[in-house]
Amino acid sequence: MADPIAGQTAICGLGVTEMGKIYGHDSYWFASEAIKLAVEDAGIDKKDIDGLLINPGITSFLGGGISIPLQNHLGLRNLRLLNHMNSFGATAIGMVHYAAMAVNHGMANYVVCVFADAPLQKGGSAGAAYGGGRNRGPEGMASLGPAYGFYGANTGYALAARRYMETYGVEQEKLGNVAVAQRQWATTNPHATMRDPITMEDYDNSRWIIEPFHLLDCCLVSNGAVAVIVTTAERAQAAKSDPAYVLGMGQGHPGNLAHSSVETMTTSGATLAGETAFNMAAIDRDAIDVCEFYDCYTYTVLRTLEDYGFCGKGEAGDFVADGRTAPGGSFPLNTGGGQLSSFYMWGMTPVAEGVAQARGSAGERQVEKHDAVLISGNGGTLDTHGTLILSPRQN
Amino acid sequence: MSNYAKPLPVPNEDTQPWFDGCKQHKLLLQYFPSADWWQFPYSERCQEDWSTDWEWRESKGEGTVYTWGLMHQVYHPSWGEEVPYVLAVVELDEGPRMNTTLINVEHDQIQCGMRVKVAFDDVTDEITLPKFEPA
Repeated sequence: MADPIAGQTAICGLGVTEMGKIYGHDSYWFASEAIKLAVEDAGIDKKDIDGLLINPGITSFLGGGISIPLQNHLGLRNLRLLNHMNSFGATAIGMVHYAAMAVNHGMANYVVCVFADAPLQKGGSAGAAYGGGRNRGPEGMASLGPAYGFYGANTGYALAARRYMETYGVEQEKLGNVAVAQRQWATTNPHATMRDPITMEDYDNSRWIIEPFHLLDCCLVSNGAVAVIVTTAERAQAAKSDPAYVLGMGQGHPGNLAHSSVETMTTSGATLAGETAFNMAAIDRDAIDVCEFYDCYTYTVLRTLEDYGFCGKGEAGDFVADGRTAPGGSFPLNTGGGQLSSFYMWGMTPVAEGVAQARGSAGERQVEKHDAVLISGNGGTLDTHGTLILSPRQN
Repeated sequence: MSNYAKPLPVPNEDTQPWFDGCKQHKLLLQYFPSADWWQFPYSERCQEDWSTDWEWRESKGEGTVYTWGLMHQVYHPSWGEEVPYVLAVVELDEGPRMNTTLINVEHDQIQCGMRVKVAFDDVTDEITLPKFEPA
């Protein structure tokens, strides 16, 4: 029996602001700009919006991230759905999940899901934004991290990547292949910050951040915002742009318990989330035409490929090695360049590209066959995971 | 020792006994008898059966390297002369994993799964950090 929600909702609007070192604006400006673009894209009116789900980025930890006051910045009145959400990199997809359920049940008609971030400051480094910029001093055992020199998100993922590489005998170059393939895709993405092609030599020569990660294993840090508008299939069909129907949704959150009873660093929630989403969509993974995976690091892509079952444990390095995921390859993956090369809007980076590919509006980088687009979100250090399957077809 | 410039941990009321244990070169863990569960870092409640009945017990201080990395980026100026330095996660035989560092080992000798034992570093008069070295 068909799932009662599969294909019954859609993304009818997408707004992507300028991305990267865009200075002079705060997160609220970026958020409202993205929403304005999404509303124009959908061809709806401001007063049609009756739901708003908000996800701030790292700026919320630095002071100044978007939250509930965004409603007033936009002059929105009488919303029927409103929340500030955070499961880190899984939030963007989570917002679409909750929005789809809400519109499917008549709680709202047009739900805006927005992510905005503005951590970059003129003259400041990306590392300053994510590594040590937080002035609040932790105490108790939380204060042990800096005492041993643990800083920033890079550390947790580098340690996870090391365990993966040693467990399965995965060579450094396999990480590099991911970076090189994604940069190839970015060369044709006008929203991408890094559009110059790179070689494996460039990868090897890029400086170490924390071994086993070179600079080119790590995502960008960007100022910008992305908004999508979720509505019912019926309303989406009447909208200006082609709908990207939501065929499947799933979440899987393994957590990150630091204890011998659980293996945390070589597994993610993709298996659990994917199972729910594939069941809902009533398709199997062979039907997927395009993948847009959360790629905070090159390793995350390998991990995600394996946990969705596209290859076995430890085999993703070989899977990507022959250019299979690059432009012209048989397995288009992160077709906008991903977080590594286009822009870093947490979970909205893969969602934005997934919407563009599903509805066929990705321009020069559009993948020919795009009936089923698999999108992932991943948060914490592989703690949280969301899956979204989009399609230009309702079923 | 008074010239120690790296960030120092700040004990609070709940964790002072743990830091005191380190100072006496004892690695303490929480032990929850009802679930036979060892816990680190500190939390008032047992992760396994949610019990709040526990005591500090001394770990044997032995375990394996769960994973490790070499930090090259300088996030705090006090680490400037030390990069690249080792970050490690050690899985204690009692179960909990600790973020720590490794000493008395060449970088190219480090491997996941290698056996290590605790080695206490009295970094100041007040603070001792448990580090690990090959067993």
